[in-house]
Amino acid sequence: MSLLRVDSVDKSYGDEPVLHDVSFGMDRQQVEVIVGPSGSGKSTLLRCVNRLTEIDSGEIYLDDEEIHGVDENELRRRVGMVFQDFNLFAHLTARGNITLGLREVLGLSKAEADAKADDYLDRVGLADQADSYPAELSGGQQQRVGIARALAMDPELILFDEPTSALDPELIGEVLTVMKDLAEEGMTMLCVTHEMGFARSAADTITFLDDGEIVERGPPEQLFENPEHERTGTFLGELTGLHQ
Amino acid sequence: MEPAVLQASDWGFIFANWQTIALGVVVTVLLTATSLTLGFALGFPSGAIEVYGEGWLAEAVSTAGVLLRGTPIVVLIVLFYFALPIPQLGSLPVVGVKVDAFVAATLALGLRSAAYQAQVFRGSIQSIGEGQLEAARSVGMTKLQAIQHVVFPQAVRRSLPGFQNEFTIVLKDTSVAFAIGLAELLTRAERLYLQPGRDTAVIEVIIAISAIYFVLTFTTNRTLDYIYSRYAIPGGNS
Amino acid sequence: MSADTVDAAVGTIRGRKKVVAGVVGGALWLWLLARWAAHNTLLDSVFTAIGLPDLIRSEVRVGAREPWIPAEPFAAVAEALGGVAAAVGPAGVLVEWLAWPFELAAFATSTGPALAAGAFITVYLTVISMAFGLVIAVPLAVTRVYGGPISSSLSLAYTELIRGTPLLAQLFFFYFGLPLAGLVSGIGLMELPGAPRSAAVVAIIAFTVNSSAYQAEYIRAALQSVDEGQLTAARAVGLSKREGIRHVVLPQGLRFAIPGWTNEFVYLIKYSSLAAFITVPDMFRRARDIGSDTFQYTEIYVVVGLCYLGLVLTTAIAMQRLEDRVALPGVGTSTGRE
Repeated sequence: MSLLRVDSVDKSYGDEPVLHDVSFGMDRQQVEVIVGPSGSGKSTLLRCVNRLTEIDSGEIYLDDEEIHGVDENELRRRVGMVFQDFNLFAHLTARGNITLGLREVLGLSKAEADAKADDYLDRVGLADQADSYPAELSGGQQQRVGIARALAMDPELILFDEPTSALDPELIGEVLTVMKDLAEEGMTMLCVTHEMGFARSAADTITFLDDGEIVERGPPEQLFENPEHERTGTFLGELTGLHQ
Repeated sequence: MEPAVLQASDWGFIFANWQTIALGVVVTVLLTATSLTLGFALGFPSGAIEVYGEGWLAEAVSTAGVLLRGTPIVVLIVLFYFALPIPQLGSLPVVGVKVDAFVAATLALGLRSAAYQAQVFRGSIQSIGEGQLEAARSVGMTKLQAIQHVVFPQAVRRSLPGFQNEFTIVLKDTSVAFAIGLAELLTRAERLYLQPGRDTAVIEVIIAISAIYFVLTFTTNRTLDYIYSRYAIPGGNS
Repeated sequence: MSADTVDAAVGTIRGRKKVVAGVVGGALWLWLLARWAAHNTLLDSVFTAIGLPDLIRSEVRVGAREPWIPAEPFAAVAEALGGVAAAVGPAGVLVEWLAWPFELAAFATSTGPALAAGAFITVYLTVISMAFGLVIAVPLAVTRVYGGPISSSLSLAYTELIRGTPLLAQLFFFYFGLPLAGLVSGIGLMELPGAPRSAAVVAIIAFTVNSSAYQAEYIRAALQSVDEGQLTAARAVGLSKREGIRHVVLPQGLRFAIPGWTNEFVYLIKYSSLAAFITVPDMFRRARDIGSDTFQYTEIYVVVGLCYLGLVLTTAIAMQRLEDRVALPGVGTSTGRE
């Protein structure tokens, strides 16, 4: 039984088609990486899953439940998201960023929320930065808080929207390490990323999206070694050359 | 009128009448406080309505704002004084201010300030990146929760400099209540030098009250600066 | 300061409201220009000199000038509605409300000539003071940003003192406190036809001083928002500091200052009304006098309020267009009066 099933999804902005007939499914504890050129619709696809963007047609099932039949806030509680620009709440400390959702959405007491937040900060290696404000943290640290914030809500699935694209090269590693740890612990992750090293080592499946359509999908070895389509090989080759 | 000379006797005259001036200061400060409070109470919701509201309410708020910002404060004050059916309620004790004039001035200064504060707050809300709202929604908060816990706390902080401007403007513009004879600082000052034989003291009186206005704006501005730095988000530039 | 407001100085005016403001404001300006021309002393002497027909009647006192728009039709409608109101009894209150705008219109047309004469003074007080203020403000701001410790503190003290005290107190200081009015009329310049009265000259002095401080603040903020690298780059190509400021920083900085400058323009149109308290017969003074003559305070203040609104909104819209035209692609800041 799939945890997430995307079925014939179409989306356009005005006359501009962004996603066309996109279908795929992923199981629990799977790590799925979506790759593709910029403007290929990767981020839109991700945002359709937690309904930050609404699809035009098709269906998306979470746990065999069509997500448009679920309350959107309930859906987003179950599907975490990590943003490219971190989007940490600028007026709250690292701990406050995590406890806000715990308290307002899950209704935890302050003590419970604080304890849980500290626990998750510890997991991403930031136990000592609990009282720091976002602007006092490096980009890598901010993104790790962003991951902890998503994790703390106990989501069934986490969406990663280019989590390292806004980072300086020397800060990318610490975020990828956290993500790899998560993958090993069995977190279900749907990631848009250009980090081919991560895709190769952590992903169960890679989807190559181009012009709003899935060109090819399969295990990393297949896409990297024996792509069915020339486009896939060219694109992955370029990215790999670029990043390694 | 003799050319004004800064005479010691004129300064002595001012010191001898320090009570009149002190009462004027009290009225000016009181009027500033009531007007700013009214402006804050109406301005902040109006700013939020202009951003998030729709339909006739948002339209009405935005139109009222343009009308209030586009009319001179003196016209607003006299208009409210003459046009509104404010009952004659006699005078405030101690400070000796006619209540109806005080109410009219508060309404004019307060509503005008609300129109400006609404703009300040609206600008602050709009300056909070869309990502903040999305991040809040992505953990399952409702739009209302996101606005309340994520957007507003940041927007209020960013509004502080604008609010500080408003404070200075309102404090200075309380002097325009002179137009309806409200016994604030400037009006009382005029009454001082209009006394028979006191026209030599005009310049000294005006310098004295200008100094008082300056001290009031300066000290409050420094205090607000301090509060602002105190509540600023560490490391943030907002 | 929030640098994100890019609207006109009084707020966002768009769509239908902008069209209405534009059309009504345009009509107001046409009417004002025509009225000013019809009673302009200078134009009158030109007409007389070149022998054109005596269309320009500058000799007619303001109080004796005829309105061009007849009050009778409005009055008639108002009266008719009043009659209806009386006939329908208690529900007539609503009809009476309907009649009020017509009464107001009738009143407005009869007060038109006086208000137009006042508007002329309001406009020239504002325009002249803004221009003179700018001439003082630029060196003030440059001194503040690039001057030595003493000159920049002097500039700071000037702007802080002016901005920290009420404009009305400043007007009183110059008019009642200093013997400026006497000096001005003593020069004798005021005898020339069309020259402003001495009180108006004092008002221009006070407004110039006041707005120079505010304009200097806008320009200072704008200069400081020009990237420091710009001056460094200018020095690097061999310009002196002065030349660098003159040719590189100022052209950019003054552009950034335009939105703030627009705001200041709109503020001064409104605050010029305070000149009424030093006897200048500007638009507000005319309205006040009509009020005490007729006891129709509410009506005249509504009318004069609408007139100011017309001046302010047309200025704001026109300035917005100017801003859009001179803006450098991708940059610009805006601040309100502090």
